[in-house]
Amino acid sequence: MPRQSRGRLWALIAAPSLWLVLFLVLPLLLLAAYSFRAGVGGALFRDWTPTLEQYRILFATPAFLRLLVMSAGIALVVAVLATLLAYPVAYYLVFRIRERAGVYIVLLMIPFWISYLLRVMAWKVILGEGGAVNSLLLSLGLIHEPISALFYSRLAVIVTLVYVWTPFVALPIIATLYRIDRALLEAASSLGATPRQRFWRVTLPLSLPGVIAGAVMVFIPTVGEYVTPSLVGGSSGAMYGNIIFDFFGRSANWPLGAALAVVMLLLTLALVGATSRISRVERFIG
Amino acid sequence: MPRRGWVLPSYYWALLALLYLPILVLLLFAFNDSPILVFPLRGFTLQWFRELFATEALMRSLRNSIVVAAGSSMVATALATAGAIAFVRFEFRGKGLFMTVALLPLYVPFVVLGVALLLWLSTIGVPRSLLTIAAAHTVVGFPYALLILIARLVGFDRHLEEAAMNLGANYWQTLRRVVLPLIAPAIFAGWLTAFTVSFDEFAIANMVVGREPTLPVYLYSQLRMTARLPRVIAMAALIMAITLTIFFALVWLRRRVFSGGRAMRAIRPGPAGLG
Amino acid sequence: MIASFRRLAPLSLLVLLAVLAVACAKEKRPAATPLSPDATGTLTVLDWAGYEDTSMFVTFHRAYPKVTVSVAFGESDADIFGKMKAGTDACVFHPYSGWQHFYVRDGLVAELDTTRLSHWSEIPARFKALGQVDGKQYFIPWDWGYTSILYRTDKIPGGVDSWTALFDPKYKGHISMWDDGPGAVAIATYVKNWDETKLSDAQLAEIERMWTSQRPLNRFYWTGEPELVQGMASGEIWLAYAWQGAYNTLLGQHVPVAYAQPKEGRNSWVGLYGISSKCQTPDLAYGFLDEKLTAAQGVSLISSFAYGHVNPAAYQGVTDSNIVRALSLNDPTVLERTKFTPLVTEADRDHFGQLWARVKAAQ
Repeated sequence: MPRQSRGRLWALIAAPSLWLVLFLVLPLLLLAAYSFRAGVGGALFRDWTPTLEQYRILFATPAFLRLLVMSAGIALVVAVLATLLAYPVAYYLVFRIRERAGVYIVLLMIPFWISYLLRVMAWKVILGEGGAVNSLLLSLGLIHEPISALFYSRLAVIVTLVYVWTPFVALPIIATLYRIDRALLEAASSLGATPRQRFWRVTLPLSLPGVIAGAVMVFIPTVGEYVTPSLVGGSSGAMYGNIIFDFFGRSANWPLGAALAVVMLLLTLALVGATSRISRVERFIG
Repeated sequence: MPRRGWVLPSYYWALLALLYLPILVLLLFAFNDSPILVFPLRGFTLQWFRELFATEALMRSLRNSIVVAAGSSMVATALATAGAIAFVRFEFRGKGLFMTVALLPLYVPFVVLGVALLLWLSTIGVPRSLLTIAAAHTVVGFPYALLILIARLVGFDRHLEEAAMNLGANYWQTLRRVVLPLIAPAIFAGWLTAFTVSFDEFAIANMVVGREPTLPVYLYSQLRMTARLPRVIAMAALIMAITLTIFFALVWLRRRVFSGGRAMRAIRPGPAGLG
Repeated sequence: MIASFRRLAPLSLLVLLAVLAVACAKEKRPAATPLSPDATGTLTVLDWAGYEDTSMFVTFHRAYPKVTVSVAFGESDADIFGKMKAGTDACVFHPYSGWQHFYVRDGLVAELDTTRLSHWSEIPARFKALGQVDGKQYFIPWDWGYTSILYRTDKIPGGVDSWTALFDPKYKGHISMWDDGPGAVAIATYVKNWDETKLSDAQLAEIERMWTSQRPLNRFYWTGEPELVQGMASGEIWLAYAWQGAYNTLLGQHVPVAYAQPKEGRNSWVGLYGISSKCQTPDLAYGFLDEKLTAAQGVSLISSFAYGHVNPAAYQGVTDSNIVRALSLNDPTVLERTKFTPLVTEADRDHFGQLWARVKAAQ
């Protein structure tokens, strides 16, 4: 590369790279390094002799591992449900509404402009003991006592997360469906395919990589969720992220918390790596 | 061939109704004459809106959020613009690595990012504050802005730059006077996306917050205090009303000013016709 | 370029020496002088949210109006300890019982010269002892309170008289426990009548089993008193592990509640103030601590938070009947039946935290 170009490249790439290193790479590396620390707590990074003690504790505690699997399970359920709910909407907007879809999409997105926290708390108003569902059922005489399992439970966590994510995951599905070459669909029709066959044999398979990418985009943040479980999960709705958060907050066992965080990070990165062969998530932004 | 089916449209509107229902139910309590969020409703009142503006901590946290979001999104967009130009126009060996690291915030659960930053700040001895939240949000908003700008620049005609340089401009002048103005809508889109991400971000902010809270952090602390909730919901109602107004104003503006929506299409360089 | 570097070198050496000189000079401890009412300066205090209000140091502010008190916040004892270890510039800090010896062990707190505290003689010996480690006075006690079971008298008309009520399946779905491992372990030891400071592995395993089977009965673990108050006020929670502040708040809201006197005994905790070993303004710090001990300050604390104060003279100023009930001020024997939080090792505290994490994670 000519010297002139190299200078320009450096001028452009230096600032973003430095920022990323300073605020992303180094913190994550520090987190990983901290997980190899034996000491119980405190903020000082001194007297560090690497040890696998925290990982030993982690893997010797079935409760933590099972919770990780359970959290991944919850994330999977949420991702699948949200994707299933969003797909028909996306299909409708791309193939029926077409050019006018803009307004329809915005209508879908407007709830996002309310704080995520309030949207979560809205479910307390609906599912809680004094909430809409229970009040309705009580006044209709269908139940005599409010159903407490609707709220402060794992069910509440799943319902709330599906609610929050469904409009969001519609976007990548819309983008994917839009990119399907119409010529292929026309070819299928002219070869005698019924609309139903056309959907199941052409549209759906072609859209699948993008749909999976959208589901992955829901799955990853949900595995590490701690906010929703803390608001609506109650005693039994805790997820893996809550345990990590606790170890960095109240319990002040940062090394163990770091080890838990590293394990989850490796899991999510492995998943992204595995699915990136099928689909590329970053296609959908921009 | 358009089919006059009723299934899909009903599905869309039903889902939309389901999406809005909890919010509308919640907003009812912004006008409900009772400090607790339980049914039955008690009566109409506007007192919560009055109390909202009188609650200094709430207004201050709102201001903090706006400042943090504006600042972090500006930095994120500036960095993303530089990074996108470098990525699209130049060849260099670390390209794949740069992209992987740049997009990492999309793949890393926020709780992990949050604790990593907490650990980092504690180690280098930087006290937590609005600045630390802003720095964290810059990292989070960067990938969105970067991808939007890369998509825009890929479609950008290189010949325009070459022409400008042939006419005597040096590289930086070309960037400043030719490239940047033409990709301005994409920069704006990137900035707006980063702003939105930062404004409502809670998971990380909660961990690196100092003495001054952002709006979500403040909201979270109030969610457990029943007497303060109605005014918080009143604020949510106001924000929603303001955003809707801005949105419809933009739609109206676009129809009047930009015929054919050509300029707006530049903002979303993907599928034309959906924008 | 090399030439200019050579010119810079001696200059930077000079600057370095100057900086070192200043740094070393600051290490010298300033001599003790009595505080005058005109005293100026800034005192940095590391405290909990809510304690930054001037009502929390009202007499100090009145006595030395020109001194600025700057409050930094800690969110939990673990957080305060972490900040002190990391080297905050706070001169005075406010940990709670069970953490004293950590600060002494790590050299973070200065031993107190109680002759500099003019109100020290007003404090009962029992409270003074709580600020001692290995017989030496490192902290002043300041605020105290109870932990007991708060319950709705209309939902549980028979009353509650034992900590076992928190584990009673009769109240399934209406119990709320504090989200804290050491707190949970303490309660379990009261039920089992074990020594919290000497738990064997088998006993810890049993405690974990107790709380794991309690979890399905528990509605949510509360992390802040407002959350607890709301849960009890709405009737969702019938009984909870609670401090007396919540009791007082609910009485004020006219919710029918009572604060149990469990047969195993209530728990009590004490808040302490200490002076950092790195404090650069010890005169201000001693003045601050001294004024914290006054009865007038006690009245302010009691009326604001319904927390107890260590100066008995403060109780005379309390007229609010709810607060009197909340603090059992009319019952002189209550403290005999109260278990004060003991000193637990850091390793034990960590084990309790992990135990609690396992309880929350259990499937």
